[in-house]
Amino acid sequence: MHLRLIYLYRNLTRNKQRTLLTCAAVALPMVIYVLSTAVVSGVDAFLDNSARQLRLAVTHKASIINMLPEGYALKIKSLDPTGERLRAACGMRWIGGKMQNVTQPLSTVAVDAEEFIKAFDDFKLTETEKAAWLRDHQAIIVGRGTAAIFGWKVGDRISIRSSVPPYTSLEFHIVSTAEHAQDANTNWCHRSYYEEDLKKNIPEATQGMVSFFFVKCGSKADLDFFRVEIDKLFARTIDETKTQDEKAFMNEFITQQFDLPRNLTILSIVTVFVAVMAATNTMSMNFRDRFNEYATLKALGFGGGYVFTLIQTESLGLCLLGGIFGALMPYVAFMHTPLGRVPVPVIQHLEIRPIVCLHAIAIAAVIGLIAAVWPSVLALRLKVVAALRNLE
Amino acid sequence: MALPLSYNWRNLFVRKTTTLLTCLVIATVVGVFTWLVGFAGALNRSLSYANDAHKLIVLKQGATSETNSAILPEDYNKLSQVQDVAVNPKTGEPLRSPEMIVQVSLPRRRDNGTTFANVAVRGVTDAAFGVHRNVKLLGKGFSSGSMEVIVGEQAAKQFGGVQIGDTINLGYSGNRGYKVVGYFSANGGPMETEIWGPLTTLMNSYNRNMYSSVNVLLNDKADPDKVAKFVQGPSVDLNAQTEPAYWYDQSKNIRIYLGIVGGLVSIMCVAAIFAIANTMYATVAGRTREFAMLRTIGFSKNQILLSVVIEAVFLALLGGAMGCIACEAWLVLAGNTKDMFGATTFTTMAFEIKLTPYMVVGALLLVAGVAVLGALPPAVRASRVHVIDALREP
Repeated sequence: MHLRLIYLYRNLTRNKQRTLLTCAAVALPMVIYVLSTAVVSGVDAFLDNSARQLRLAVTHKASIINMLPEGYALKIKSLDPTGERLRAACGMRWIGGKMQNVTQPLSTVAVDAEEFIKAFDDFKLTETEKAAWLRDHQAIIVGRGTAAIFGWKVGDRISIRSSVPPYTSLEFHIVSTAEHAQDANTNWCHRSYYEEDLKKNIPEATQGMVSFFFVKCGSKADLDFFRVEIDKLFARTIDETKTQDEKAFMNEFITQQFDLPRNLTILSIVTVFVAVMAATNTMSMNFRDRFNEYATLKALGFGGGYVFTLIQTESLGLCLLGGIFGALMPYVAFMHTPLGRVPVPVIQHLEIRPIVCLHAIAIAAVIGLIAAVWPSVLALRLKVVAALRNLE
Repeated sequence: MALPLSYNWRNLFVRKTTTLLTCLVIATVVGVFTWLVGFAGALNRSLSYANDAHKLIVLKQGATSETNSAILPEDYNKLSQVQDVAVNPKTGEPLRSPEMIVQVSLPRRRDNGTTFANVAVRGVTDAAFGVHRNVKLLGKGFSSGSMEVIVGEQAAKQFGGVQIGDTINLGYSGNRGYKVVGYFSANGGPMETEIWGPLTTLMNSYNRNMYSSVNVLLNDKADPDKVAKFVQGPSVDLNAQTEPAYWYDQSKNIRIYLGIVGGLVSIMCVAAIFAIANTMYATVAGRTREFAMLRTIGFSKNQILLSVVIEAVFLALLGGAMGCIACEAWLVLAGNTKDMFGATTFTTMAFEIKLTPYMVVGALLLVAGVAVLGALPPAVRASRVHVIDALREP
C-alpha cells in the first residue's frame, strides 16, 4: 500500500505541467457545472416553493392581458362557503411602476388587502406589519431585493408612477420588506388605492378589473379539485378563465424568457463531456509515455491488477484534485466575497450549496474512472514479452 | 524555406487517439460557442431590422412598452404640432400611425401546441404601411373595417391557427372571429411575429377608446433626438423613443441571460486552451530529437516555433469544423426556432437561429486564436531545444 502511494505521488509529480494543465481542464468544467447547477436549483427552489403554497392562478382564457371582473372573487369563493377548502381568492392587477429618474422598471402588483394576507401566509408578516398593511390604504409591501437597490426601509414614503392608465404618481408608505417572500423583486400595494386613482383621473375607464386571481386552497386534493371547478364555473360565460397552479403559472414566465434552466442544464452536461475528453487525453498520453514501465513492472512480477489499479488511482487522484479545486473556487467566490451579492434574475442571489460542490467532486471522480478505463484495460492486457520486445 | 505544412498535417495522425480526443474537446467548445453566437446573432439580426432611427415610438408618459401604454385621442391630436414628420408622397398626409396593441395566446407548432405563446395583435391604419418601412405585404392585405387580419411570416411559421383561411378569436372576451387573409414580412424584424388588423374594428372588438402607441416617421432632415425632446416637453407631454432605443430596452433581460451563458462558455474556452496546451506539450516532448535534427539541417528556431503553432492551429481547425457541423446538426435535429418575451411587452418575439458563414469563420478564427495561445509555451520550449544534448539522448 505504502509503495502504491509513493508511486502515485511520483506519477502525479513526474510531469507537473501535464498534471497542472489536466487539473485545470477538469476544474474549469466543474466550475461551470457548479455555477449552472446553482442557478438551475435556485430556479427550481423558487418553483418548488410556489408549488408548496397550494395556490391557483386564475387568468383570462384569451391571454394574460385580458382582464377579469373583480366580482369573480366572490363567485370563486362561493364554490366553498365553509372557507376551509378554499381559503382565499385575491384579485390582483399588475401596475408595473417606475421611479422618477430611474430607467429600470419596477414590478408592482395591486392586490385585495385582506385576501392577500390570507392567500400569502408564506410571507410570514408580523402582527404589526399586518395591522399597518390593513390600516393604511397607501401601504406597500416591497420586495427586499428592490428595497436593497433603492435603500428603502420600513416607514419610508416612496412615490411610484404606475405603468398602466392613468400613469399617475402614487404615494406609498412602506410597511414591510417581506423578508420571507420567495419573490424578492415584486412590490404589493392595495388595489382599492389604485382603483381610486383610476376613477379620479379617468372616470370613463372600466372599474373593477383585475389581471388575475390567486386562490389559496386547503390541501393538495382541493388544489386539483378547484383547478377544474373554477374553469367549469366560468365556462360559456363572456370571460372564460384558465386556471393553473402557481408553479405552472410562474414556469410559463420563466421559460418564455430564455429558458435559462434548460439551457444551463444542457451546458453543464456538455461541459462534463469536455472534462472527460481532456482527462482521457492525459491518461492516454501518460500510458504511451510509460508503456515501457508497465511492461517492466509486469516483468518484475507485479500482477495485471496491480498495474490496472495504479492507473485507475492516478487518474482518480488527478481528477479529484481538479474537481476539488473546481468546486471550491465558485463556492469561495460566491459565498465569501462580494461577488455573491451580484443579482441574478429570478433567484436574486446565487446560493452555492455544499451539496452541489460535493456532486461536482463526485462527478470529477467518475470522470477520473472513465478517463482511465481505456489505458488501464490496455495495461491489464499488456503482453510482457511483446511489450518488452518493443523496447529499443 | 519554412517547414512544409504536410509535415504538420501528417504529425497529427501519428498520435491518433490524442488528436481525436483533443479535437473532441475543441469541437464541443466550438459547438456550444457557435450555438450561443447563433442565438445572439439571431436576436441582433431581428432587432437590427427594427432599427429605423427615424421612426419614433410615442407612448404615454410612464408606460414602459406599447403593451401597457394608452394614448387618448386628444393626446394623439397634440402630435400634430410635431415638426419634421415625413409625408406620404401619394396623399401628402403626414406619416403618423396610431396603433393599438393587444395579445392573443397561440399554440406553438414546435411542440404540437402543448405550450402557448403571447403573440401581439396590432391594430393599424393605412398609415402604418408607410411608417413601418420594412413591412411588406405578401399577397392580399386586409380591407379596413372588415374582420380580417394579416399575419407576420415568422408568426405563421411558428404558431398554430394563424394560417391563411383560419379564423382567430380576438376581442375583449375572445369571441370575435377574425379571418386570416394574408401574410406580411418585416425583413426579419420583431414585427414579423405580430398579427395586424384594422385599427377601428379591433378597437371596437376590444371595447377600447384609446390607442396604445403612435409611430411617427420623421423626414430625413429631422434630428430624432430633438423631436423626441419636443414630444416629451410640455406641449405634447408624451414619451418618445427612437425604434432602436425602444428595442434595446426590451431586449435587456435577454442580454442578461446571454451574458450569464456567455460567461460560462468563455470559461469553457479557457479549459480548451489548457487541453490544447497539454496535447502540444506532449507532442513536443515526444519529438525533442526530431526538432534537434531539424535544427542541425538548418531550420531556424523561429521556423520550428511557427511549425508547432501551425500544427496546433490545424488541430484546432479540425476540431472547430467538427464543432460547427455538430452545431448545425443540433439545430436541424432539435429545431432552430426560438421565441422569447420582451422585457415589459409580455409579447413574444420569434426568430430562427441560423449559422451564417460569418459565424462559422468567426468561430474558426476564435478557435485558431485559442490554439495559438495554448501552443505558444510548448512551441517556445521546442524552439529552445539544446541540439547537441537532444541528439545524444537515446
